[in-house]
Amino acid sequence: MPLPFNLAGLKAIEAVINGGDGAADRNGNDAIVVEGLSKRFRIPHEKKSTFYDHLVGMVRGGSYTYEVFSALEDVSFTVGRGETFGVIGPNGCGKSTLLKVLAGVLRPDAGRVRIAGKIAPFLELGVGFHTELTATENIRLYGAIMGLSRRQIEGKREEILEFAELKRFENMKLKNFSSGMYVKLAFSTAVQTDPDVLLVDEVLSVGDEAFQNKCAEKIDEIRRAGKTILLVSHDLESVRDLCERCLFLDEGRITALGGAEEVVEEYLRRMQ
Amino acid sequence: MWIVEYRELIRILTVSDLKVKYQSSVLGFAWSLLNPLLMMLVLYAVFKNVFRVDQDNFALYLLIGIVGWRFLQNGTSTSMSAIVNKPSLVTKVYVPRQILVLASVLSSFTSSILEFFVLVPLLLFFGVDLSINVLFFPLIHAVFLLIVYGTSLILAALYVYYRDLNQIWEVILQAAFFLSPIVYPISIVPEKYLGIYMKNPATVLIEMYRETLLYGEPPSLGEIAIVIVAAGALLLAGTVLFGRLEGRFAEEI
Repeated sequence: MPLPFNLAGLKAIEAVINGGDGAADRNGNDAIVVEGLSKRFRIPHEKKSTFYDHLVGMVRGGSYTYEVFSALEDVSFTVGRGETFGVIGPNGCGKSTLLKVLAGVLRPDAGRVRIAGKIAPFLELGVGFHTELTATENIRLYGAIMGLSRRQIEGKREEILEFAELKRFENMKLKNFSSGMYVKLAFSTAVQTDPDVLLVDEVLSVGDEAFQNKCAEKIDEIRRAGKTILLVSHDLESVRDLCERCLFLDEGRITALGGAEEVVEEYLRRMQ
Repeated sequence: MWIVEYRELIRILTVSDLKVKYQSSVLGFAWSLLNPLLMMLVLYAVFKNVFRVDQDNFALYLLIGIVGWRFLQNGTSTSMSAIVNKPSLVTKVYVPRQILVLASVLSSFTSSILEFFVLVPLLLFFGVDLSINVLFFPLIHAVFLLIVYGTSLILAALYVYYRDLNQIWEVILQAAFFLSPIVYPISIVPEKYLGIYMKNPATVLIEMYRETLLYGEPPSLGEIAIVIVAAGALLLAGTVLFGRLEGRFAEEI
C-alpha cells in the first residue's frame, strides 16, 4: 500500500528546531542560521484520507500519483543576533512556508535550520486563544504554549493587561471582546513573553492609530533590547524603516539578499 | 525534556478537557460515575439470569472489570482525535505535539481514578475486607496509564492520515471487550486457550485490579512482568511512530 507519507525522507532531516541545542553557532553571533533549506509539498491527484480510500484505490488498481510543488528551493541565509531582518516577495513566493519552517511547524525536506534561544512565532495573533475563557485565563494559556512556568506567567500578567489597556476587562470572557480588544490582548501577550527571536507575519498594524504607535514603539524597544526580529511583510515602507537587511523571495528561491534599501528597490523594479 | 518544560501547558489542557467533559452533560460529574454503575446493572441482569454465570461477588467482579475497561476505552477513543481537534496548536505554533495526546490521556486518567474511588464504598458495603494489598493499586494504575498513553500516541498519529480509524478502532475495542474477562469468569475459557488468553495485557490488568481490590491478594510477579513489558513496548512503538508521522501533521490537518 503506498503510504501517504515518506518515512525514509524524514530520517535524513537533521533540523534542530526551536533551539534544541541552545546555540546557533560556535561563536554565538548568529540568531538564525538557514542552510540549503528546501520544502516541497505533495499534492496528490486523488486525496486519500481514509483506510477505505486506500482499499478502494488498491482494488481499482492504478498507482499513487501526485504533483510536487516546491515552496522553498535551496534557501540559505543568516540573521545576526540583535538584527531586524525583512522577508519580502509576491504572494505565493514561499514567505509563509519559510516562517512556518522556522517556527518548527513544518519539517523541511532538506537543509538545516538553527535558532538560538527562545522563539516567538507570531504566525497569527491569538494562537490558542479560547473564546470561552476570560482574558486572564487566555494569558495563562498563551504563556503556557510559549513554555513559560506558572510563576513567570503570573509575573507578566499585570504588564500584559496594562499594555493592552484592558485591565478593567480581565475577567471578561473573550467572546464578549470586540475585535479590536482581541488583537490588542493578543499582541500584548505575544510581545511580553520575552522571546529572543521574534517571527512576525504582518501583524504590526493592529488596533487604532494610538495603539499602532504603541506597537511600533514596542517593536523598537524590543529591537533596542538586542532581540532578533524576522519580519515578513507586504508593507515595503515598514520593511525599509525597520530592517537592516532584507531577503527577497520569488517562487521559493532567493532573488536578492542584502541591505534593506537595495533589496526593496530591486523588488519594486522586478514587480513593474 | 518537554514534559518538564511544558508542564504548565499540560496542566491547563488537562484541566480544561475535564471541565468540558463534566460541564457538557446536565448531571455533569455525577453522570460519569453513574454510567459504569448502570452498565454494571444491565450486564449483571443479563449474565446472571440469562447466561447463569456463577461467580462469587459477581456484581463487584463486573464493576471492577467495567471501571478498568472504561479507562482503556475512553482514554484511547478520545485521545485518538487529540491532534486533529486542536489544529491551531499544530499549524500556527510549535509545541511538542505529544502534549496534546498526553493531556487528553491524563484527563481520562483522572476520571478513571474518580471512578475507582466511588468503588471503595461499594466494596465495603458488600462486605469486602480491604487488605494492605490495595496499595498495589497506584502501581497498577500507573502502568495502565503508560499503556493507554502509548496506544493513544499510535492512534492519534495514524488518525491524522486515516480519518476512518475511529470506526475501525471501535470494532477492535468491541472484540477486545469480549476477549477479556470483563463480563464472564475466566473459568469458562477452554483450557487449551488459557495460556495465550492470560498473556493479554488487558486481561492481566483487570485480574490484577480484582486480586488487589476484591480478593485482597498481591499481584503475581509474572503478571507485573507482562504489563510492564506491554507498557514499555507500546510506549516505545508509540513514541517512534509518532515521531516519524509528526513531520507532516501540519500539512495534513
